[in-house]
Amino acid sequence: MDYDPMVMDDAEALGPVVKISQADSVRVKYELSNADIAFANSLRRVMLGEIPTIAIDLVEVEENSSVLADEFIAHRLGLIPLNAEGVESLLYGRDCDCDGFCEHCSVKLTLHAKCTGDENMHVFARDLVPTGERVNHVLGTPVLSDAEGLGPLILKLRPGQEVKLECIARKGIAKEHAKWAPSAAIGFEYDPHNKLHHLDLWYESDAKAEWPPSEYAAWEEPPQEGEPFDYDAVPNRFYFNVESAGNLSPDTIVSEGIKVLQQKLAGLIHELADEGGDGANGEFNGPRSPEYGTGADGFGGYTTPFGNAGNQSSWGGAGGTTPYGTTPYGAGQGSWS
Amino acid sequence: MRSTNARHDDNVQTGLDSSVAAIFWCLSKEESANPAILYRFELFVLQDGEKKISEKVVSGMSNCSDFLLLKEDHTLGNLLSVYLKMAPHVLMAGYKIGHPNVPEVLIRVQTDGSVTPREALVTVCKQLVAMYGQLGREFQKELALRQYADQGENAGGGGGGGGGGGPSGQNGF
Repeated sequence: MDYDPMVMDDAEALGPVVKISQADSVRVKYELSNADIAFANSLRRVMLGEIPTIAIDLVEVEENSSVLADEFIAHRLGLIPLNAEGVESLLYGRDCDCDGFCEHCSVKLTLHAKCTGDENMHVFARDLVPTGERVNHVLGTPVLSDAEGLGPLILKLRPGQEVKLECIARKGIAKEHAKWAPSAAIGFEYDPHNKLHHLDLWYESDAKAEWPPSEYAAWEEPPQEGEPFDYDAVPNRFYFNVESAGNLSPDTIVSEGIKVLQQKLAGLIHELADEGGDGANGEFNGPRSPEYGTGADGFGGYTTPFGNAGNQSSWGGAGGTTPYGTTPYGAGQGSWS
Repeated sequence: MRSTNARHDDNVQTGLDSSVAAIFWCLSKEESANPAILYRFELFVLQDGEKKISEKVVSGMSNCSDFLLLKEDHTLGNLLSVYLKMAPHVLMAGYKIGHPNVPEVLIRVQTDGSVTPREALVTVCKQLVAMYGQLGREFQKELALRQYADQGENAGGGGGGGGGGGPSGQNGF
């Protein structure tokens, strides 16, 4: 064999390395090194599409005399970022036993605005009021990150016009609809000097003069004059820029992304490890959300038994209970640390 | 009373009375009756009786298996096939997504016979869980250091150039 089977073990011994260059309430910028591009890209994909958050999913319109159609307003409401802190203790609507929606799988928000003055009235996300039972007192509150604390503009009302509606916010992931995306954007970059020639830069006369260097160009050695192309080189340093939409803090997006990905992998181990298969899997038959069977509690037990040989049996034990038997509420969210 | 869905999807109905909530609910628990209409959540929710992963031994090759992952995409497909290629005793690994509209991933693994393809896959999954775990710990450690450094800067430097951050969020971030 002409490849070194120890490559992976070496990487394992060292493992991925993180260097954070900026972290605040809006974004976190970090460099991930000593990892494969597939490793970094899977994390990026999961952070974009598969972290559960909460967004308005159903709107009941009682009164709408504004110039906008009901559906139009409903769509705008759906896109308003809501605080998703503690969303892991909320159930997916499809996994809940209730008929329609209840406080275990949804947050209710009401909007009632009437323009009584003689000037046009602006209705902002601030005017959405969470009502009824909630799993915690911040989950589902509209995110107000502007200086005045108004939040996004929903609609405008002429004198005499009125809107009165009730919104049901549900848990979901961005793979279903982008309104559930926790990240506004994720920057992902590697090889700022294009040494690997993964990019074929278009140019008028000189690519170097026309393409401004990336902010990370200073972090890596520029190519030497006349340096031969390295055919064995692989990307090794990845620059992430995770920008939050406000519903989850940027560092939570990263850690939740890691958790979701680990749950996916743990689910595979779980199904592959029980050789006979039929007994435990019979329990998991109904339609279910991705992390349901291997969810918070199942997973929390995973990291600790990992490493000692006995983890298979601990999985078998978890599989014996029905997914509805273990209560997902307040399950030990020790997360992945 | 009118009720409308905030999703603005073509395939979810918008109705004129509050029973729409009930109608939508029924739909969201079942697979859509018309196979041409795929609800978005069918991309990641396993239907009745479906298994996340199933193994099928490839008859024409020795120590070779196909693994069919349902309701998954390139996130796991590429990750696993790349790391399987790096794993010891694995001769060949690859993945395909047969059709972009069908959320199924096929991973083929061939080993040299000292481990089964299933064992190789489990080992790789465990290794990846550990690696992501380490990444998470590294990240938390670095984040704590970063925040500590930022605090020191703000306290000592008279609150100079504050890194271009927006107004401090009102959500306690």
